Amino acid sequence: MNAIASRFRASPYHEQGVEQDQNAQDSVLWGSQGGFGNLRAGAPPEFVVPNVPSPTAFLQLHTDDHADPNCRIKIAHGTTTLAFRFRGGIIVAVDSRATAGSYIASGTVKKVIEINKFLLGTMAGGAADCQYWETYLGIQCRLHELRNRERISVAAASKYLSNLVYSYKGMGLSMGTMICGWDKTGPALFYVDSDGTRLKGDVFSVGSGSTFAYGVLDQGYHWELSDEDAQELGRRSIYAAGHRDAFSGNTINLYHVRETGWEFIGNYDVTKMHYDGPGNIPGAPVGGYGYDARVSTV
Amino acid sequence: MARRYDSRTTIFSPEGRLYQIEYAMEAISHAGTVLGVLASDGVVLAAEKKVTGKLLDLSVTKDGGYGGSGEKIYLLTDNVVVGVAGLTADANSLVNYARTAAQRHLFTFNEDIPVEQLAQRLCDLKQGYTQYGGLRPFGVSLLYAGWDPYYQFQLYLSDPSGNYSGWKATCIGANNGTAQSLLKQEYKEDIKVEDAIGLVMKVMSKTMDSTTLGSEKLEFATLTLDPTTKKPKAKIYRPAEVDALLQKHDLGKKEDTEMKTS
Amino acid sequence: MEVSFAITGKGYVILAADQNAARSIIKMKADEDKIKALGSHLLMAYSGEPGDTVQFAEYVERNLRLQQMRNNHPLRPQAAASWVRRSIADSLRSRSPYAVNILLGGYDMANKQAKLYWMDYLGTQVDVPFAAHGYGSYFALSLLDREVQKRLVISFPSFKVKVVDEGGVREVELDMTV
Repeated sequence: MNAIASRFRASPYHEQGVEQDQNAQDSVLWGSQGGFGNLRAGAPPEFVVPNVPSPTAFLQLHTDDHADPNCRIKIAHGTTTLAFRFRGGIIVAVDSRATAGSYIASGTVKKVIEINKFLLGTMAGGAADCQYWETYLGIQCRLHELRNRERISVAAASKYLSNLVYSYKGMGLSMGTMICGWDKTGPALFYVDSDGTRLKGDVFSVGSGSTFAYGVLDQGYHWELSDEDAQELGRRSIYAAGHRDAFSGNTINLYHVRETGWEFIGNYDVTKMHYDGPGNIPGAPVGGYGYDARVSTV
Repeated sequence: MARRYDSRTTIFSPEGRLYQIEYAMEAISHAGTVLGVLASDGVVLAAEKKVTGKLLDLSVTKDGGYGGSGEKIYLLTDNVVVGVAGLTADANSLVNYARTAAQRHLFTFNEDIPVEQLAQRLCDLKQGYTQYGGLRPFGVSLLYAGWDPYYQFQLYLSDPSGNYSGWKATCIGANNGTAQSLLKQEYKEDIKVEDAIGLVMKVMSKTMDSTTLGSEKLEFATLTLDPTTKKPKAKIYRPAEVDALLQKHDLGKKEDTEMKTS
Repeated sequence: MEVSFAITGKGYVILAADQNAARSIIKMKADEDKIKALGSHLLMAYSGEPGDTVQFAEYVERNLRLQQMRNNHPLRPQAAASWVRRSIADSLRSRSPYAVNILLGGYDMANKQAKLYWMDYLGTQVDVPFAAHGYGSYFALSLLDREVQKRLVISFPSFKVKVVDEGGVREVELDMTV
């Protein structure tokens, strides 16, 4: 009885907590929500965190190779990814290199995560973090679709992800991602990172090569770009980063998001782009992106 | 029949009634009358004391504390005074809860708790006790006289079910029906505190069983705004002040019949 | 490198905040709104740790909305400021504190007064006539000086400017070419 009575005689501390979750908690206790009161509807999952006083310090100890180059776990950080919104939808372009320190661990990484037919997520930072949580986001988006009989908006999907990673803030997640898609509002693009930042915008680039990509992207970007020119701009921007950034390169993956969903445009070898260019593709120049420009005397 | 449905508060009777709450209300209608009148420049509360007697030691209440004899009228916070009718023990618990709630609001928001919110807090508590098994409802009704910058002067009533309502003038406890019809006749819009005091005194003298009124049977309080600070000022009358007030309104005991004290 | 300003006048408060969203050396966005309307007569400019800022601002926004729904009237600026300060102070002593600096400006409908509160992430709160956060605060004391814009080394291309007065909150265009 005391337990019941004490629920009403809230302590000052309890009272403050109550402001936020009183209703949620009570409806669970009363078994409302149509008899499903005890199910955690839509709540973020419980994820196991190292059982140490400070997960952050623990993680840093084992992953920070600035402090200790011999540490066991190395997290891939080098990347270039970009996405931009324009009249014809959204262009998403990424490189495919994965590095661990100075070692190129892979040259065929898929850094665009196909969340569903209408949503793409890009990968920068921890590959595992991005892969896991964006796949997880895909599950939630599907559930949203089943529950609400309509596709989730890009704003809502990105907010879900941002709230999710924010709940792990300081615990070592490393993600810099762009959530791209087409919903009722048209093409939508959001930048979400593991700090919890979530920005709506037209042009984003993330990763160690982003500065180089931005350089090309910003000077060539225009809302009224044709589909071909937009694709070429995405390709050319990643090439620029792959060329100048040691941690980016190998190949370029290019996607185009339209009203009907996303389309994979192609995979392009950065070295081949340098010498020969993308070939006879609409919007692309004749010849290589870099080599000719550097050696021709004209 | 009722027997089956009144052993627990959480159970409705087939007629859709909650007997325990009705019993609690019944208990209150035998309790000492508490009366409140809302004026344009203040609120007036008066309460009939039940526990009296020559041998009752009232020496502490003569000039200690914040005034009043501490049976029916309490100061909850700077801007709210409350009059209680019903079980005194239950009332003490509620008053304590209300004071804590008021202080907690002050702590979080750095402002006096708005009157309605304080009434709400108490009603949330009272309602809880009508629903959860094994708990008895509070046998108390309260009249809250208060002031806040949102709605200025206010008068609220709350009952054991957890209902509350705002009033211009109302009454709880014994003879509340008589008192309320009297108030309905006599109440005037834009009444001033001075007249409200007179009205309260008059109605009180007619509803109470005793022929003469005195501080041993009556508690009295007003809530006004301090003219200089513009802050609410609660005044709970001391026994001597209550007697003086009664004399002024010609309702006190005649000199010759006055009780011989000390 | 964020900056926000606020000035009170007779019956109004003006808040201004830069519109950049930057990550290390890269400016990712130049049209971010960092001033939230928390009610019809309350504005809050926020800056600080990325992620925390928006989360905290939305937390405040929703709680104040809840207060308004429960009590049928919004909190007065003074009470809202106290609540926000308390939230920051409580969070500071929790496992994951919000590192957010706040300027809270409001018009008190109860006594027809404009109020401005400066708060930092440590839970300091001051009632001030004008205030600033970020590097701009080093120039704030000379804010009334007309020369300040020319001397501002860190000059931002644009500011979001919002006013709150008796008529409520509204946005104003600031002509930066002067």
